[in-house]
Amino acid sequence: MNAQLNAVTVNLLGTVEHPELGDSPYRVDADGAPYVPVGDGGVVLGLELGDSVFAFDGDHAAPGACLTHSDEAARHALVLYCCIGNEAEVRTGAAAGARGAVIGKRGESGRVIVGFRASDLARMRPGDQVSVRTRGQGFRPAWLPPGVTMLNLDPDLLAALPVSPGDATVVSVRMVLPSKKAGNGLGRPAAGWDLDLQLGPGDGQDLRLGDLVAITDIDARYNMGYRRDWVSIGVTVHGSSPLPGHGPGITPILTGPRALIAPREDVHTHAGLTTALLKLQ
Amino acid sequence: MKAVTNAERLVTQVLTGEVWPALADRHGCRIGPDGQPFVLPGMGGVTLGVHCGDPATGYAADHLEPGASVRHADPAANMAVQFLTCVGNQVTVASGPARGLVGHVIGQHAYVLVDFAEAAAARLTTGDAVTINAIGQGLRLADHPSIVVKNCSPGLLELMPGGTTADGRLEVHVAARIPAEAVGAGVGMISEYANTDLMGAYESLGADLSLGLESLRVGDIVAIADQDHRYGRGYRPGYLTIGVICTGQCMLFGHGPGPSTLLSGPADAFRLVDDPAANLSSWLHNQGRAEQ
Repeated sequence: MNAQLNAVTVNLLGTVEHPELGDSPYRVDADGAPYVPVGDGGVVLGLELGDSVFAFDGDHAAPGACLTHSDEAARHALVLYCCIGNEAEVRTGAAAGARGAVIGKRGESGRVIVGFRASDLARMRPGDQVSVRTRGQGFRPAWLPPGVTMLNLDPDLLAALPVSPGDATVVSVRMVLPSKKAGNGLGRPAAGWDLDLQLGPGDGQDLRLGDLVAITDIDARYNMGYRRDWVSIGVTVHGSSPLPGHGPGITPILTGPRALIAPREDVHTHAGLTTALLKLQ
Repeated sequence: MKAVTNAERLVTQVLTGEVWPALADRHGCRIGPDGQPFVLPGMGGVTLGVHCGDPATGYAADHLEPGASVRHADPAANMAVQFLTCVGNQVTVASGPARGLVGHVIGQHAYVLVDFAEAAAARLTTGDAVTINAIGQGLRLADHPSIVVKNCSPGLLELMPGGTTADGRLEVHVAARIPAEAVGAGVGMISEYANTDLMGAYESLGADLSLGLESLRVGDIVAIADQDHRYGRGYRPGYLTIGVICTGQCMLFGHGPGPSTLLSGPADAFRLVDDPAANLSSWLHNQGRAEQ
């Protein structure tokens, strides 16, 4: 994409999702034990950016409200166009007028995760309508090396993240993971689907909602897949999952050759996407 | 010796399906690894000229599905077809000019994939009805309780070389060993449905995409490292999954030739024997051809 092109803002309406389950309440975890999934979509209270992805016994629980659209094509467009940091405003219901911001998105049929202040979120319910000022797809800052692709990120948020221009773009991350830890999301479009990390609480590495993560040998320009000597950076947008092949998910924001993106692992001091950056405090 | 199973306790359920069409949308193109748009055949319908024992890659195709691709028109009945049908099950054509001809299931890919002899496949088309004698789910290995059997007919297990070794492991002959890095789309899905796409086999594309898997054949029995497919599909160090390659060449990134899962358990419960002849064509499908 030409660096001179201006990003376009499109207001889109989403509806706060209601969780859905099938006739059986059970899913089956990696050890074959049935469990009832809690927190998989809709309005989830009690967790926020900065919390450990392992702090709750949920399944893909995200910090905020998940938006969808009743029309399948409109739902895909909503998810594809929304970018992390986009402003959102509640249009209906008890929290009408409340401001939020896009934290990330999830795949399958697609949903947008929008963060709100806890007091606003507590007044929201499934069916509430939320308008999002979608902006960012196609944007690339002038300083970004031509071989690096940016996606899923509001242009105004980039400068606030721990991303530093240079011969190689230096990015502070909580952890650098090998590609074999990539799970659900492989083979799916990075603009509309998150990439689950096959990490559990027993792996000895803590990860927090909002953390930036680097995954090596994964190319996320189009579909996500294996490419040697490549690296992709994502924002941690939802919590862990008992499902095999699933786990905490990242929404990709940067991808490029290893020579052009240099992740710096800050296990203890890393700060990625926070409520302060999104003005949700 | 052959592994002891509960095969005599399994029942056969008669299922129906039809050869399902290839599906596309009005935009036509999908996107390859380097951003290249493509329109390529492979999924749905009856794909001719590729059978068990043939190379899985090297075709101008995407998600190549050898033979007939079968679904049931009713969504719930279709899930029964997809879940209950096992590799090695017999499929009989029930309508059209190929009526009465017999093929065998080689795997699942959100379609049940049925390989017929070329002459039979050439007479099949979209909409032709098939009858599936489904047997295999619930198959257990009495002396290998840590290994879960998936999607494998008892007849196929009986035909495959190997079995219980003197030290109590399950010997399995495999045509290829697959690193965990190759596992792409399909991870995180249930292991009774569709298959696991293997990345790193994009014939004729860049070396940075290759994991050395360009010599896989349709029907190959393969071992995937660090994969636990007992209750879904996920990465777990120290586990092993045995599958059968039932789909071939892909251009879609993050996808590739795919094994349907047959066996999964701790790696130390297996003894692998590298055997280039570990392919469905060595046992099961030759019978299918002989019947015609």
